[in-house]
Amino acid sequence: MKHAARIIPCYAADSSGACSALYELGGMTVVHDASGCNSTYATFDEPRWWDTQSMTYISALTELDAILGNDEKLIADAADAAADQKPRFIAVCGSPMPMMIGVDFDAVAYEIEQRTGIRTFALHTNGMHSYTEGAAEAFRCIAEEYVRASDTKKKNGVNLLGAAPLDFGNLNTVQSIRAWLAENGFETVSCFAMGDTLETIAHAAEASVNLVLSQSGLAAADYLYEAFGIPYVCGVPYGSAFSAVLADALRTAAENGTHAYPCTQRGGSGKTVTVIGEAVSAGSIAAQLNLTGYQANVICPLPHAETLLADGESDAFAEGDLARVLLEMRPDAVIADPLYRFILPPGTQHIGLPHSAFSGRCYDKIIPDLTGRRFDGWLREAE
Amino acid sequence: MIKLAIYGKGGIGKSTCTANLAAAFAMRGKKVIQIGCDPKADSTINLLSGTPVTPVMDWMRDHDDEPDSLAQISQTGFGGVLCIETGGPTPGLGCAGRGIITTFSLLKELRLFETYQPDVVLYDVLGDVVCGGFAAPIREGYAEQVLIVTSGEKMALYAANNIHNAVKNFEDRSYAKVRGIIMNRRNVPDEEAKVRAFADANGLPVAADIPRSDDISRYEDMGKTVIEGDPDCETAKRFFALADLLIAEDSERNDV
Repeated sequence: MKHAARIIPCYAADSSGACSALYELGGMTVVHDASGCNSTYATFDEPRWWDTQSMTYISALTELDAILGNDEKLIADAADAAADQKPRFIAVCGSPMPMMIGVDFDAVAYEIEQRTGIRTFALHTNGMHSYTEGAAEAFRCIAEEYVRASDTKKKNGVNLLGAAPLDFGNLNTVQSIRAWLAENGFETVSCFAMGDTLETIAHAAEASVNLVLSQSGLAAADYLYEAFGIPYVCGVPYGSAFSAVLADALRTAAENGTHAYPCTQRGGSGKTVTVIGEAVSAGSIAAQLNLTGYQANVICPLPHAETLLADGESDAFAEGDLARVLLEMRPDAVIADPLYRFILPPGTQHIGLPHSAFSGRCYDKIIPDLTGRRFDGWLREAE
Repeated sequence: MIKLAIYGKGGIGKSTCTANLAAAFAMRGKKVIQIGCDPKADSTINLLSGTPVTPVMDWMRDHDDEPDSLAQISQTGFGGVLCIETGGPTPGLGCAGRGIITTFSLLKELRLFETYQPDVVLYDVLGDVVCGGFAAPIREGYAEQVLIVTSGEKMALYAANNIHNAVKNFEDRSYAKVRGIIMNRRNVPDEEAKVRAFADANGLPVAADIPRSDDISRYEDMGKTVIEGDPDCETAKRFFALADLLIAEDSERNDV
């Protein structure tokens, strides 16, 4: 069987990514599903579920509705809920069963919008792709729908793109990144999408540069460049050395208008370390390590990471392929989610770094905030 | 761009009409794509001298993966028509409708329209609009107009009525609209009156009247359309007339 995972789990699904991206923006997100997707999302993928309200629903698709193609129930229920809840927007997302019966989500969204007068858009998830793809479509959609052109330009203004707990399970991290920006003379214009509202996001065009914090932010970054000419820089300020590099890259990009990918910087020497995970976070950690006496590289098991990896780095994602690549590379140490330790070659040092999108809430109490010099201390202790 | 879906009862001559129409458009200098949406995968065979293109579903089954280039799943036929067939699952298994949706998603990923930049796209769809998959060709972004092929036979008209009603059900969505009827004659008694009565009752024009002719089967036996085999015959002239009509309407729309 191709792509079967026997030991490790798979990453969160695209529908979880979409819900997570939109969670704080005041819209109503409806996953067309019997119920499995929402319970998986609420139970494992969304740490805000317990203390922050959000209009995230499932449609409770039944076998008969699926067989009969009863889209009307979804449309009517969404319209009723919207009349009651008055969301800022409505997003309809798919899951495996609607995919199999070929639900036309664009048409469903069109009908809901006609009926409610509330902006409604379809997110083309099907529960079979990675959370990064669902979140990426949602962030880009928000950028396309709500960011307005502006005559004001903030010279040191930065948007944070691709912030969601699936990659930043320690909810303090995004706050720490904002603080780090301020320490370096930048102003956070907006954050897609933790701690900000649609009103704030509408001003994103005032920024001079975008900081792409994850693969999920790249599609929105591309749009903001196409529409408003805002360049982007890819990286997360993990570690004091890499944070300084990243701050410089932001200044240069804001000035030159060209994109930069500091998270792909390699070239160190010393103990070999492989970082497994989402490309921007893992790449930033690898870049920090390469600056501080290690020889680090990345394996990114998530799709569409090509531009965010250094030359020759692996995007293996099937369990067998990952194990084979690790065996060939034989790194001294691997930094990866704790659940990866079961497929590491014998004798490889494992440094556990929980990733919510991979291990859900298993380790949510010990997910560290690695912003700036916190990474240096964490690594010393973890080693 | 002219984007047409051809529907009609099974065996009524949809593929024959679609392939001849594609060939007629091509002879008028248009860049044409014909996409057969039927598990039998025989829509384009008479544009390809009887040598079938590899259907998309067959390619996926054989390779256990998606194709990564259009060349793997398309073939250029008579007049430069780009021929694609969705194909379908193993007969009796799987889901043919889902196969059509999968094929369409794939063609979008492979940027078919951006790459080929056609003037005309024809979707030849199996039978009735029986499920979501078979409605995929009339969704937004695909066909804009539907032509229903029917003869004067009772069951052909019954199917035509079902198709018309199904398309009407999607009026709230910006789906394709029924453009009219292709009367594909079987020489049944009072055929024209029956077809025109149906068309009038539903406010649909008869866009083309294709005579019953042995020319069609003679050239099909040679793996050809009548447009290729004998472009001057009466049947070919009817297909040219339909192509000209649709080209003229498209020009008018573009002028507006």
